[in-house]
Amino acid sequence: MRSKRRILSQFFIVSNFSMMKIEHEYSSITWPNVLDNFALLSGQLNSLSRLLKSEKIPPLKNYVLLPLALSPDKDLDLEKLTEGRLMIFNHEVVPVYLRTKPEPEVEEKFTELTCRVGISAHDNPQSYMVYSQGKAIKTENMLVEDATVTRKQLNTLNKITSNILDIINSARDEWESEANQKSAQPQTSSMADTNSLIQAITVGKGLKQPTPRRSENSHQNNNNVNSQQQSQKAPQSATISKAPSTIKTNIKAGSANHPYQRS
Amino acid sequence: MGVVCVFPYIIPEGKSGLQVVDCLQKQVELLGAVKAGTFCVDCETYQSNFSNTTTPQRLVHILHNSEQPATCFAIVDTGNCLVADSQFDILMQRLKGFYQQRKGFKIESKGQRYEYGDFLIKIGSVLLASSFKGILLEVEYYPCAYLGDCWNLMKELIQSVMGNVLETPPAFLKQKFNSEYGPSDTIQQYLEHFNGFRKAASANQAR
Amino acid sequence: MEGSVSIHRHTAAPFHEYLLQGSVVDNSCDVLLNRLRGLCDNAENDYESFHDHELVFALRSSTAQNNHNQQVYFRVRHSLKAPNAPWHLRYVGQAEVGDKTRHTLVRTYVDVSTSDNVVTFLNEMGFRLDYEYVIKGYFFHKGRMKVTVSKIFRMLQPNNVENLEPLSLSYLVELTVVAPAGQELIQDDMKNFAEQLKPLVQLEKIDHRRITMM
Repeated sequence: MRSKRRILSQFFIVSNFSMMKIEHEYSSITWPNVLDNFALLSGQLNSLSRLLKSEKIPPLKNYVLLPLALSPDKDLDLEKLTEGRLMIFNHEVVPVYLRTKPEPEVEEKFTELTCRVGISAHDNPQSYMVYSQGKAIKTENMLVEDATVTRKQLNTLNKITSNILDIINSARDEWESEANQKSAQPQTSSMADTNSLIQAITVGKGLKQPTPRRSENSHQNNNNVNSQQQSQKAPQSATISKAPSTIKTNIKAGSANHPYQRS
Repeated sequence: MGVVCVFPYIIPEGKSGLQVVDCLQKQVELLGAVKAGTFCVDCETYQSNFSNTTTPQRLVHILHNSEQPATCFAIVDTGNCLVADSQFDILMQRLKGFYQQRKGFKIESKGQRYEYGDFLIKIGSVLLASSFKGILLEVEYYPCAYLGDCWNLMKELIQSVMGNVLETPPAFLKQKFNSEYGPSDTIQQYLEHFNGFRKAASANQAR
Repeated sequence: MEGSVSIHRHTAAPFHEYLLQGSVVDNSCDVLLNRLRGLCDNAENDYESFHDHELVFALRSSTAQNNHNQQVYFRVRHSLKAPNAPWHLRYVGQAEVGDKTRHTLVRTYVDVSTSDNVVTFLNEMGFRLDYEYVIKGYFFHKGRMKVTVSKIFRMLQPNNVENLEPLSLSYLVELTVVAPAGQELIQDDMKNFAEQLKPLVQLEKIDHRRITMM
């Protein structure tokens, strides 16, 4: 019990702290920091739910709550108790805070829906127990053991199944189109371009021997360079150590009028 | 920076270098100059050990001047002088496979620095591989950037301290008479004298 | 007098450059610039731009007795926007990938500003121009980190910095820190920063040796 209380109090401290941070320091707070805090929160939520699930913990109790007095005046004790969230205990807030049932309109709608389901499934009460407790119990008594009724049941079941299938299919279509949209987002970077740019600035790939015709097709020209080197190498006794000198002669051919005296 | 003239002081027969340096320092102090720290100009020489068909054998001199402590001067033997950050030394280390430091070639001039009005006077002992080789004097006149405008003034000061030296300006300065003077010009004067000392030293050894 | 003068020699070890690289296609460049502007220092100012010419020089020995074929590359860079700014002479070592514990590439890095005669100086030392390009872009800084977003241009005529052609339809994005050797912790900051640019740009340590083999 004590450990539960401790975890609860820690949880509230951390959550309050991070809410406060987000509200007041949103300009200076950093993203990694926020993520850190969330990680802390989710960790504590986890341990809390683990504790509640464990069998040693007695179930949380039910209390009967009866509003004894309503007052239109400000209640300081209440304000302190709720940390400023609730200041006045009057006829307006009581129904909201002490409600244990859905609102009448919601309840009406709910029964209406249960009725409908009950009629369509009048002869298979068990599977619809969840949806229409009242109706199902009623129809249970009206069960007639008849072959035509069984056929009817079968038909309804088929209808329902096919309906559900339709719903599932359309949902899947929706997901897929969403996923497609995501992958269709414009690509903002290209690995091939990264590599070609790095190669260019580190070893000069695509930058050496600039000639005007290069602009038409750089790939083709790269090939030209290679074949040129090879054809020049061939007549000499092509040792590896001579490679640089052949490259140099190539440079000369490409730019005879360069002022930085290449040779 | 102003205009600088660097010139050797011939040591008279029968006197040691230390005596002459002491004597010069006393003379400058008598004039009323004030001690203002020390100075050092050093020079290391690198020699190329590669040959490709296009580059003949090259020497690169790396010089530092305490007057410009964050600067490194690199002079190729063609006379081209590069002015760079002092980190240029690290770049020279990167060229180990191509340029190697000549052993026993480190030469420097260091000594006392004096302020005298608008003048700066430096009396340097020249050390080649830490052995004394001679004396280099440096006189700087701050307020002027063109040598042609103040040469006579500088000559007067120099002659009043050291006697009848430097009737005409050194050859290097003559060609700089009407162009703006810069720190690399000082370094080039030092290099010229350093090379002279080195040549004399190797000639002595040969004898 | 011996030893009384201390000359300011910089024999310190060279700096290290920590490096992450990536690229962004032209269309998304504005988005990236806006995001960088928000993430980096001086968000209130307009980002700064540069327009440089880089020349890469190689010193090669091709002597018969020197069979192992060695070469050194020096990079000369100068601004085309500010002609009076000093020129830069840079040495950049081979980028080391290292193991998984390293988040960035590491390479030795020496950057020296020089007088404008550096090109003739290098030529006289035996260097020869290997390739050149024009690089144009924007830079940001956040603390010690520097981010550049730059376009590489091929020069259609030698030494003509006007007649250009873009090398690709992307901008090169580089995140770098230059620091003395041993400051490995900076890599964590860089990794965090790179994380914040995803998925717009993937800044990664890209093995130069592997991609130059391709």
